[in-house]
Amino acid sequence: MRLTPGPARDVDLDTLDLFDLDLYSTGDPHPIWDVMRERAPLHHQVLPDGREFWSVTRYEDVRRVLGDHREFTSERGTVPTHLGTDDAAAGVLMTSTDPPRHTEVRRPLNAKLTARAVRSWEDKIRATVRRFLQPALDGETFDLAEQALLLPALVTGPLLGIPEKDWAELVQLTAMVTAPCDPHFLVGSEAATLAISHHELLNYVRDWATTRRADGGEDDSLLHHLMSVRPGGAPLSDEEIALDGYSILLGANVTTPHTVSGTVQALVERPEQYAKAQADPTLIPGLVEEGLRWTSAACNFMRYAVDDVQIGGGTIPARGAVVAWIGSANRDASVFPDPHTFDITRDGAKRHGAFGFGPHFCIGAPLARMTLRIFFEELLDGCASIELAGEPEHLRSYFIAGMTHLPVAAQKRHTP
Amino acid sequence: MESSPQMVHERGGQEETPQPQAGPSGASAALAQEIAELWGEHLGSPGVGPEDDFFALGGNSLAGIKIIERVLLDHGVRLSVRDFYLAGTPAKVAELIEQGRAGT
Ligand code: HEM
Repeated sequence: MRLTPGPARDVDLDTLDLFDLDLYSTGDPHPIWDVMRERAPLHHQVLPDGREFWSVTRYEDVRRVLGDHREFTSERGTVPTHLGTDDAAAGVLMTSTDPPRHTEVRRPLNAKLTARAVRSWEDKIRATVRRFLQPALDGETFDLAEQALLLPALVTGPLLGIPEKDWAELVQLTAMVTAPCDPHFLVGSEAATLAISHHELLNYVRDWATTRRADGGEDDSLLHHLMSVRPGGAPLSDEEIALDGYSILLGANVTTPHTVSGTVQALVERPEQYAKAQADPTLIPGLVEEGLRWTSAACNFMRYAVDDVQIGGGTIPARGAVVAWIGSANRDASVFPDPHTFDITRDGAKRHGAFGFGPHFCIGAPLARMTLRIFFEELLDGCASIELAGEPEHLRSYFIAGMTHLPVAAQKRHTP
Repeated sequence: MESSPQMVHERGGQEETPQPQAGPSGASAALAQEIAELWGEHLGSPGVGPEDDFFALGGNSLAGIKIIERVLLDHGVRLSVRDFYLAGTPAKVAELIEQGRAGT
């Protein structure tokens, strides 16, 4: 989807189709969300097949829906591509489990992913990012969006304990899960694409766990760590490990690349912001936060209302599905003045909801933040400037706001 | 990973070929029925027929994992994950099992 919106336009809220994939591949959703925040902060849509969902678009409402598990449960699924099918992994998969069990599953993983814990990876990640950027520095036209799909695997592969030979395939599978309708990833039908990719990812992690158990190998990796945790006193089963490993693989692979591409695109369009960050690298953490807000790669997450609930001036009935539009919340003018301006020195950019809110707040946020900071440190240090070298293309997905192509050409920087 | 060489495996032209009027052999009709029952068990919907669609019945990967495991136990054939979901119906899955047995 376009991250810099075009002109405001008239929107018919009654016939609006928020799941229209064209809106995201070639269209411009921001002017629509602007109108929704203003005139229909609680919006209801019925799909042609009869499934229905409510939408919230204001920052405060999105924060409440994602953050309050008593009113809005995750146990029936949290990803809008699964709307209407209760999540078979409820109560086992971290993302589709409410506290208190959720707290148990999450705690041991969290210990491995705090800002302090991931700092030990900084040098390794920097070396990886340098290698990643080398072809661009050599002056080749570089399709950043395409290449960036591999970046999280390069960064998190060793951390998770996944052998290098499997990365490319895992990246492909996670891309299928996130954008099953994108022609780059579609296999057969949307449902088949989703099922195949889930199945193969789960198989992968489960086989990995089984093999590891058999050979008794131990290492410092996250997946190995999962094998040794005992939430509530009992170890996780291989199936539970597969489900947790799956959510980590997904969480890491599908969002970081699009944050990288979307932020670079914003900078390419605004050379003065690029120059500003280059002149003063202490602005880079702010650039990262503004990039997270601007791109909102996880465009939304879903919850189900537990009981009838008042929100956004209306009522969602008990068991109703509600989609919390993070991409919209992050452009709410009541929190981010002049929200459609990309400004790396914005005050309070860090309040963005790109990582969600509350108990499910992204467990990988410290790692993602560090990876992005290192990426922009290396990019700004290595490239005097970057230009567009072809047509950008956007991901065909209403769940992940992303890019499939962003060809760029960089000018190497000749500085001390 | 079992089916990695088939990343871009697409539905073949097979379905376009008209089936002979005689229909599938007795063995495969029985097998298709057996698979239909297996699906019914795992999808919690009795009365699944050989031509019913996996996804229309609410099938997902967690059910698929169990079904593929059962097929391996009961029939000694390890179905490819991709082929299984692209097949879509018990009748087509029965064909896959027979192909698997024949080693094709
Ligand atoms: C820029 C990059 C990223 C973005 C924008 C992002 C976004 C999000 C969001 C919005 C949620 C909340 C989901 C909800 O409320 O239901 C989430 C959860 C999660 N993320 Fe991330 N994420 C990013 C990077 C990562 C990385 C690098 C990892 C893995 C190391 C990761 C793993 C997870 C996991 C496992 C959850 C589920 C947490 C839970 O349910 O308690 N994410 N992410």
